[in-house]
Amino acid sequence: MKKQLIELRVNGRTYEVATEPSALLLDVLRQELQLTGSKRGCDDSSCGACTVLVDGVAMMSCTLLAASCEGQEITTIEGVSEHGSLAAIQKAYGDWGGAQCGYCTPGFIMTVKSLLAENPDPTGDDIRAALSSNLCRCTGYNQMYEAIRSAIQAERKGLAAAK
Amino acid sequence: MSLPQFKLLRPRSVEEAVAHLAEHKSNLRVLAGGTDLIPSMRQKLFEPEYVLDLRGIVAMRGINTGAEGGVKIGALTSLRAIERSDYLRQHYPVLTEAAATVASPVLRNMGTIGGNICLDTRCLWYNQSLTWRKGCGFCIKKDGDLCHVAPGGTKCWAAFSGDTPPALLCLQAEVEIASANGTRRIPLRDFYTGLGDTYRRLQSHELVTRVFLPASSADYRGVYRKLRVRGSIDYPLAGIAVVMKRSNGHVADARIGITAVNPAPLLVEGATALLAGKEMDDSLAEAAGDLAAKTAKPLTTSALTPEYRREMIRVFTKRAVLAAAN
Amino acid sequence: MSPDFSIIGKPTAMVDAAEKTTGAGKYTDDLSVPGMLIGKILHSPYPHARIDRIDSTRAEKLEGVVAVVIGKDAPNPYGILPVGHDEHALALDRVRYVGDNVACVVATSEAVAEKALELIDVEYEVLPAYFDPEESMKAQTDLIHDNKPYNLEKDYHHVFGDPDQGFVEADEVSEARFISNEVTHAAMEPHSTLASFELDPHTGKPGRLTVWSSTQVPYYLQHKLSLVLEMPMAQIRVIKPLVGGGFGGKSEVIPLEIIAAIAARKAQAPVKITYTREEVFWAHRGRPRTIIDLKTGVKKDGRITAVKARVVQDGGAYCSYGVVTILYSGALLGALYDIPNIQYDGYRVLTNKPACGAMRGHGTVNVRFAFESQLDELAAKIGMDSAEIRRRNLLQPPCITVNGLRVQSYGLPECIEKTVERSGWKQRKGKLPKGRGLGIACSHYVSGAANSIIRSDMPHSTVNIKIDRDGGVVVYTGASEIGQGSDTMTAQVAAETLGCTLSRVRVIAADTDLTPIDIGSYSSRVTFMAGNATLRAAAEVKKLIAAAAAKKMNCATDDLVFRDDAVVRKNGHAGTDHVGTAAVGRPAERSEAAASVSGHVEGQILRGSLQQKRKDQGPKDSLTFEEAVVAAIDFHGALTGTGSYAPPPEARGGKHKGAGVGPSPAYSYSAQVAEVSVDEETGEVTVHKVWAAHDCGRALNPVSVEGQIIGSVWMGMGQALTEEMVWKDGMLMNPGLLEYRSPSSIESPEVEPIIVESIDPEGPFGAKECSEGSLAATIPAIANAIYDAVGVHLHESPFTPERVLAAIRARKNSKALNLTEGVDPTAPTRFREHGGSLWFKGKGPERHPLDPARSQTPTGGAD
Repeated sequence: MKKQLIELRVNGRTYEVATEPSALLLDVLRQELQLTGSKRGCDDSSCGACTVLVDGVAMMSCTLLAASCEGQEITTIEGVSEHGSLAAIQKAYGDWGGAQCGYCTPGFIMTVKSLLAENPDPTGDDIRAALSSNLCRCTGYNQMYEAIRSAIQAERKGLAAAK
Repeated sequence: MSLPQFKLLRPRSVEEAVAHLAEHKSNLRVLAGGTDLIPSMRQKLFEPEYVLDLRGIVAMRGINTGAEGGVKIGALTSLRAIERSDYLRQHYPVLTEAAATVASPVLRNMGTIGGNICLDTRCLWYNQSLTWRKGCGFCIKKDGDLCHVAPGGTKCWAAFSGDTPPALLCLQAEVEIASANGTRRIPLRDFYTGLGDTYRRLQSHELVTRVFLPASSADYRGVYRKLRVRGSIDYPLAGIAVVMKRSNGHVADARIGITAVNPAPLLVEGATALLAGKEMDDSLAEAAGDLAAKTAKPLTTSALTPEYRREMIRVFTKRAVLAAAN
Repeated sequence: MSPDFSIIGKPTAMVDAAEKTTGAGKYTDDLSVPGMLIGKILHSPYPHARIDRIDSTRAEKLEGVVAVVIGKDAPNPYGILPVGHDEHALALDRVRYVGDNVACVVATSEAVAEKALELIDVEYEVLPAYFDPEESMKAQTDLIHDNKPYNLEKDYHHVFGDPDQGFVEADEVSEARFISNEVTHAAMEPHSTLASFELDPHTGKPGRLTVWSSTQVPYYLQHKLSLVLEMPMAQIRVIKPLVGGGFGGKSEVIPLEIIAAIAARKAQAPVKITYTREEVFWAHRGRPRTIIDLKTGVKKDGRITAVKARVVQDGGAYCSYGVVTILYSGALLGALYDIPNIQYDGYRVLTNKPACGAMRGHGTVNVRFAFESQLDELAAKIGMDSAEIRRRNLLQPPCITVNGLRVQSYGLPECIEKTVERSGWKQRKGKLPKGRGLGIACSHYVSGAANSIIRSDMPHSTVNIKIDRDGGVVVYTGASEIGQGSDTMTAQVAAETLGCTLSRVRVIAADTDLTPIDIGSYSSRVTFMAGNATLRAAAEVKKLIAAAAAKKMNCATDDLVFRDDAVVRKNGHAGTDHVGTAAVGRPAERSEAAASVSGHVEGQILRGSLQQKRKDQGPKDSLTFEEAVVAAIDFHGALTGTGSYAPPPEARGGKHKGAGVGPSPAYSYSAQVAEVSVDEETGEVTVHKVWAAHDCGRALNPVSVEGQIIGSVWMGMGQALTEEMVWKDGMLMNPGLLEYRSPSSIESPEVEPIIVESIDPEGPFGAKECSEGSLAATIPAIANAIYDAVGVHLHESPFTPERVLAAIRARKNSKALNLTEGVDPTAPTRFREHGGSLWFKGKGPERHPLDPARSQTPTGGAD
C-alpha cells in the first residue's frame, strides 16, 4: 500500500508523516516520531500501556488509526513534563513507588492526567475506577493511590503559592 | 501484530459514508470506536480492502430529545457520553447503567453506542490470532466448517457480548439504518438473527446511524447486572437488564433482557406476563430468574463454564427484578 | 536501637524513576539502530509433530524479505540448566507444543515479515501428544524427548527423619489432593531482543555481537549465545536496557534471544524481534499446574509430627528450570516451621505444552497453598486457633533443619504477632457477619540460592567501584534492574558505606562489556548478594580514602567518620555533633557547599589557591568528600575497589541428591491475614484487605520494600482468584491479557504492608529478600478466609466463582449442577480441561484419543 502524507499535532507541534492508511497511532508515535514513551503491552486493547490524550480525552493509541487522528491534538507522556521539570504527578509516582518496572507508567500517568483534568478533586472510588483502564503487574495499584493523592496536594499547594 | 493493509475512507457526512458503502459493499468494514474492529483486524478476522472511518462525521454524535418525545442517540455517541448523560440517567437509567459497565473507562471514551449494538459475536475459538486458529482447524464463523463448542452442529454459537443491547431491547429501542437508498427504522429486536456468524440483519451497503428510545419507555426503573471476573475491562460473561414500572405496590409493566449467553441479545419471552400485575416477592423473583435461565443457551464460548453462566442469569435476574421493584 | 544511617532505611525514589515517569527511559523495543530489520517467528500449530520438510522459497521471494532462518542455521541445543540442554531456538525436526518455534522471517517491516510467514510451507507428521502429566507418565511410545522414558524429566524421593513413625505419633492426620492451575508472569513488557554484529577491523568479517535484550540474566544469555553461535563469550556483549517486569519470565534464555542473533548473522544486518502478547504466553516459563497429594500429622498440642508430599508438576515440553522447581517444592517444606519428619516425592513431567519455568516464589507457591490450607483444617480438627497452631511450630534459630537448611535470622514470630494484632484477629475472627471471614497463612523464601545453577567456585556477584577526581562515584554491577529497585539498592549501599550523597553515585549495570559478572535477578538474590558485593567494594575504596584522609587529618583511620559527603574526625571540634542530627536532612545543602569549595566559584577555578590556603591552616578536623577523594587519588594514584560475594559453605545445604536446591544464606518470612467476603449465590469472592508482615532483615528502602510486599500479595491474589491458563488438548484458550485475567484496580484490595526487621547477620546492613516470599502466603490466606466465611475448603486454585459456588452448593446439598467441568474443587482428582472439542468426524486436527467429544455432546447444549 502506498504511503500517504498526514499531518499530526503531537504535544503542541505539527508533524508531517508519511504512513500507510493501516498504520496505528501507537506505531507512528514510536517508530516515525521516536516518541517511545507510549508502550505496547497487549494486542487486544486491554492493557492501556499505550494511552494518550486525543483532544484531552484518554484513548488507546494502539486502537486508533494514525490517519484518523488528523486534525486532533494528541498529548503523549513526552508532553507531560512542565517547563522542563517533572509534573507533580510524575514526581509523585517516583516518590511513592507508583512506578516499579515503569512499563505501564506512561499509560497510567495519561489516564490520571485526564481524570484530574475533568475532576480535580476525585474521591478514592473515582481514582480506583479511573485506574481500572490500565493494567499494572508490579504494584498492586496501592502505591499509585498514594502518589495521586500526593500529586493533588502538591498541585493545590502550587496553586495556592501562585496566588 | 500489524493490521492488514487497506484503503482508508474518511467521510464527513452520512451521505458520503453511504455512498462509499454502496460502492465498495462487501470489501469494506466500518470503523467507529475501533475497540472491536482493530483487535479483530490484528487477528486477521477481517481483511477488508476498505475501512470506512466514521470518526469525522460530527452529525452522528449526540443525544437529542425529539419534539414527539423520546430520545435520539447518534450511533457515534461514545458510551462515556451516554454513561454521563443526566437526561438518560433520569429517564432511561437501565441504559446508563449498562453503558457504564462496558469494558473500561478509556475504552468507553472510544467505544460507541452504534458499535456496541453492532458488536461482533465472540467465542474463545474465534477471537484468536490466525496462527492459533490454524491450530484448532478454524471454525464455522471464520475460514472453517467445524463448530468446536457444539461438535456436529452446523450452527455458529458465538455469543453476542454487548452490554447495552439488552437494556435497549428492554426500552423497545429502534435503530435507524441508512443506505444510499434512504433510511429505514426497525425495532432493535428485529436487528439480530440469533445466529453466531451472520448475527445481524444489516446489508453490506447499510449503516446504523441512530438509536431511538420511545417516550413510552421513559421513566421505567432500570437495573443492569453483569457477570465478569474482573471489575473492569472484561466483556460480559452473562448480562441481564430489567426495566419495570410500578403502581400501587404492584408491578405494572416489566421487561427482562439478557446478553452474552446466546448468539443474540434477547428479551425474555413471557417475562412481562409473569411479572405484570403481581406483587414483587422472592418467589416471583425466583420465577423470573428461572424463566430467564431457560432463555439462556450458553456454550463453552468463554472461560467460565456454561452451566455457571446460565445459573448466574438465574441469580442475577432474581436480584435485578427485586432491585428494580424496591 | 537501630544504627543511625543517613541513606539506608530512608524512603527513596528509585534512581531511574524520572526515566520511567517521563517515558524517556528506553526498553529494548524502544531501541533502533541504523539498518535494523524486523524478525517474525513462525510457530507450530500442532502440539507434537515431526517436521518432514520446510520450504521457504515462496517467502524468500516476497519483496522486503531479507532472510528466512530455520533450525539448521544453528543446530546446537541449549537450556538454562546444564542438565537440561533440550531446546533448539528453532526446531530441528520436532515440534513439541502449539507455539513451538519453527522458522523466522527477517524483513524490512513487521507487515512484510508477517505476510512472509504465511508463505513458508511446512510439512508436519502429527504425533500423539500428551497433555495430562499423570497420563504422560505412563507413556511408552512417542516420547516427547527420546532420552526421557515415561516423559519424566526428573523425579526425586527424599526422606528426612522417620515420617511413618511421625504419623503413628500424630493425634490427627489429614490427607488430601490439592490442585493448582497454571499461571504465568504476564509482565507488562513483551519480550524483545535486538541483535547486531560489528565488522571486525582486522578480518573484515562479522566479528563482535551486541545483544540488547529484556532479560533478568544477561550473563546466562551471553553464555548460551556463545554455545549456540559457537562464538567466544568475549566476542558477545549483552546489554540489558530497562526491563518492563520479569517475575521469572525473563530469568532464562528465551527463544527469541537466540533467534534474533542467528537471524542477524544470516541477514547480515541488525535484527529486532519483539514478541506479540500471544508469543509471550507461548514462551511462558510460568508456574506449572501442579498436583499435590499432601498428608500432615499433628499432636493435640498443635505440634506437627510428620509431612508427606507427593508433587506432580506439568512441566511442559522442555526442561527449563524444571529440575530446580521440583526440588524447591520439596526443600521448602522445610525452613518455615519446625517439622521433624518429611517425606517428599517429586515428579517433573514433560507434556506437549509450553515449557514452565521459574515464577515469583519459584517452586514454593503451590505446595505452600496445600500445606497452609491443610494446617488450617488440622487446627479446626484439634480445636485450635489457626494463628496459634502456627506459633506452636516455630523453629528455634540459629538451627539447621531436618533437610539441611541453615536458618539464622527468623522474623516469623514477629510477623505472626503483628498481622494478628493489626488485623484484629483475636477480636474479629469467627465473629464476622455471615459470608465474611478472616484467614491466616505464612510463607518464606530464599534470599538467593546458595548454589549457582552453573557449578563453579566463582563469586555469584562482583561489583567494581571507581571514583575520580570529580568526586563522582561510579558503581559497575552486573545486577539486573527489572523494576524491583536493584540499581537504587546498589546506589544506596555504596553511598551509605562511603558516606556520600546518593546523587554522587552513578550505577552502570548489566552490560557484560562494562560490568563484572553477576548471575542475574532471580531467586531474590540481588539485595543479599549484589548488595554484599557492593558493600565490600565500597568498603575497599573507603579504606583507601580513609588512609589518605587520616594522613591529612593527622589521626588514625579508626577515628574517621564518613557521612553526608564529609569525612570528619570523631573527636574533632566538628565531631559527633556535626555527624549527628545537625547534618541529617540537609544533604543537598551540604553537597552544594562542598562543590563550591573544591570546584568552581563564579566560573573561576580556585583549586590552587584553596590548596595553598589549606596548607597554611595545617591539619583539619574534617574534609569534604571531594577533598578526601582528591587526597586519596594523590596518595594512591587511583581510586577503585572491587567486592564480590559467594555464599558461605555452611549455607550450602546437605549432601543428599538434590540437596543443592533450597539452601540459601538467609530466608525471608511472611505472615498474612486476608479478609474476604463470599457471595453465597454467585460464588464471587471479594478480598477486602490483606495485612502482610514480611521479615526482610532490614528495609534498605522502605518504599520499595512495601511496594514489593504489596506487589507479591497482589500477584498471589491474582493466582488465588482470577488467573488461570485454560487448556484444551494443548491449545491455550486464553493467550492474551483480555482473557488471562490479571486483576484490575477494581478488585485489587488494600494491602497493608508491615515491615519486620530481623537484621540478618550476613545480609548487607542486615537485609534479606522482600520481593517473592510474600506471594505464597496470600493464596492459602484467602482459601482459609473463604472457609471462615462460608465453611468450604477449596482444594483447587484459582477460586473462581464457579468453583466456589460448586463447593457451596455441594455443602448445601442444592440441586447438582455441573459448574466446574466435572472437577470437584473441594476434592479435585484431575486438571480441568476446557469444554468443547478439537476433534470432529475426522475433520480438523485430531488431538487426543480420549477426546470426550467422541462420545459426548457438550454441556449446556441446545436442550
